[in-house]
Amino acid sequence: MTTTAPPTTRNLETVGLTKSFGGVHAVRDATVTFHHGKINALIGPNGSGKTTFFNCVTGMIKPDSGTVTFRGEDITRRAPHKIARAGIGRSFQLCRVFPRMTVLENMLVAVRRTKVRELLAGARNPEEIDKARALLVRVGIDHLENVEARNLSYGQQKLLELAGVLMGDPDTIMLDEPAGGVNPALIGRIGTLVQELNAEGKTFLVVEHNMDMVMSLSHHVIVFDRGRPIAEGTPAVVQADPRVLEAYLGV
Amino acid sequence: MPNASDTRPASGRGAAAARAVPDAAGAVAAPAARRPWGRVVRLAALVVLAVLVLAFPTMAPNAYILSAGIVVLSYACTATAWNFMGGFTGYVSLGHAAFFGLGAYGTGLLIRDLGLPSFVAWLTAGAIVLLVTIPVGIAALRVRGASFVIVSIAFVLILLLVFQAWGTFTGGSDGLVVPRPFPDMLRPEHHRTFFYLFAALLVVMLVAWWAIDRSRFGTGLKAVREDEDKAQALGVPTRNYKLVAYVVSATFTGLAGGMYALWFGDLDPIFQFSIMLGAYMVLMALLGGVRHLFGPLLGAVIVGSGLEYFKLEFGDTQFHLVATALLLGIVVLFMPDGIIPAVQSLVKRFGPQDSSIREMTAAELLERNRAAAAEPAAEAPAEPSAAVVPQGRHAGDEPVAEGTGEEKDR
Repeated sequence: MTTTAPPTTRNLETVGLTKSFGGVHAVRDATVTFHHGKINALIGPNGSGKTTFFNCVTGMIKPDSGTVTFRGEDITRRAPHKIARAGIGRSFQLCRVFPRMTVLENMLVAVRRTKVRELLAGARNPEEIDKARALLVRVGIDHLENVEARNLSYGQQKLLELAGVLMGDPDTIMLDEPAGGVNPALIGRIGTLVQELNAEGKTFLVVEHNMDMVMSLSHHVIVFDRGRPIAEGTPAVVQADPRVLEAYLGV
Repeated sequence: MPNASDTRPASGRGAAAARAVPDAAGAVAAPAARRPWGRVVRLAALVVLAVLVLAFPTMAPNAYILSAGIVVLSYACTATAWNFMGGFTGYVSLGHAAFFGLGAYGTGLLIRDLGLPSFVAWLTAGAIVLLVTIPVGIAALRVRGASFVIVSIAFVLILLLVFQAWGTFTGGSDGLVVPRPFPDMLRPEHHRTFFYLFAALLVVMLVAWWAIDRSRFGTGLKAVREDEDKAQALGVPTRNYKLVAYVVSATFTGLAGGMYALWFGDLDPIFQFSIMLGAYMVLMALLGGVRHLFGPLLGAVIVGSGLEYFKLEFGDTQFHLVATALLLGIVVLFMPDGIIPAVQSLVKRFGPQDSSIREMTAAELLERNRAAAAEPAAEAPAEPSAAVVPQGRHAGDEPVAEGTGEEKDR
């Protein structure tokens, strides 16, 4: 995995993605290709447009111009729930769960049904509950399933958020700072989970400031500065890139 | 794989954490065991409530008390109807009186102008409210939070002005007399009939609310209430969900209004399209607890009886409004979640603790899982809590190398 050959299967791609807030160009003409089946990392200084880019891709913000395609399909400006249903799961920078719902209920929100009869049927479907429990076991918070999410610790909420995303069976998982505000042991656990899930075929797109985590986890690193990618490649390549050093250190 | 080395020690622990925890089932079973008790209590309370409601007309000492009971029930209907939107999605509409008024006037006008039978007119008015709400909802639900509150007020004010000004059609401020559905009934009998009709409407609403509460649809709505963006990111089509909740809420409010028109028989825009009525709905629901089936009903009984009492005591003064405001202040200060949650937490304080989080921190869990991992790992799949095991098996010590062949059920 030391080479970054162009991906054979298309995953998430953006072409000329642009978003401005007033005079601030948060994302400028960003053309990025994420590698299918790999752990992609998106790094860059604060304010370099990573989260805005994230939000444009997942439909939370409508980009001013440019296109986003997922597995060859144009998903630009689609509603967030449609993008989610297309197979992209995401977490939020400041971890977000449904505070006054129990852990199990939090999981069941991600169950996707479209038929009216299924929607009106009871939410406590045994199969779905089993699936939710299995995921909770996997992230290690199954003993808390009847606790309201607001009573969880921050780290547990992070794990719950990740489990909730997995409940929707996404192909591609976008994590916005999974290690932010989390103790080192938990960072290790989250990192391991990401690797295991990746081994099961999930593509990851991780925004992260924890360089140890980025460099150890990811196969492909994209560096953002002032709203556009300035470098990409393997962790080793990126770390040696002078433009990256300049962006980060200002030398 | 140069990247694996750094996380290797951590991966061992993480893998242990991911492994099935044998006594996970025990932790789950504990709260479930407490549930039958609650169910019996709840059922008993429900029976008592039903008997009380059914017996009220015969127990009422005079026609005034009975009519006050009907007013309280109609409040309960509107507050419960409001709660389809407010309770599930968290969108506070102060303008639900618009649908109450539309249902009332719709019923009255359909009887007067088209000569429809009373209850056909009532249902038709409900259908009209439903249809009107769709475009209104699409417009109003483009905004959230405080903006939604303002938009909801705007609609009721517009309707108030229209119905006041368009006197030739609506009767304007002179009022609209709605023909009685049971012309040959005496007054007490008329009251008794409508008391039961309102009660039946309330039961239908409560059953519908209960059904949504436990459904997948309801789970999605509650997710919207808790965090709308997050719900959307998990694939919940939030706009459509909100719209359906809004339409259901408005339609039930309209049906309550129509029923009121049939009972009271005299409509005035200032009362039907009143901000106060909309505010009462919110107050009642908040007072009882918006996240509970019987919250709005409880709130309506308290606020409704209070209002009737104050009106009786202080006559035409506006003191009943002051009293309502005081009540609202008390709710916000001391029971922001409402009476039912406040009482529940009080009861919980004396009962056994909820499965405590501090009992087991993540670190302790890791510790325990590591201990479990030290024992022969082969035992794990044989555990009865087998539902969880197949996932756990992925968590080998070589997470990356453990090929993609074990692709899961996607």
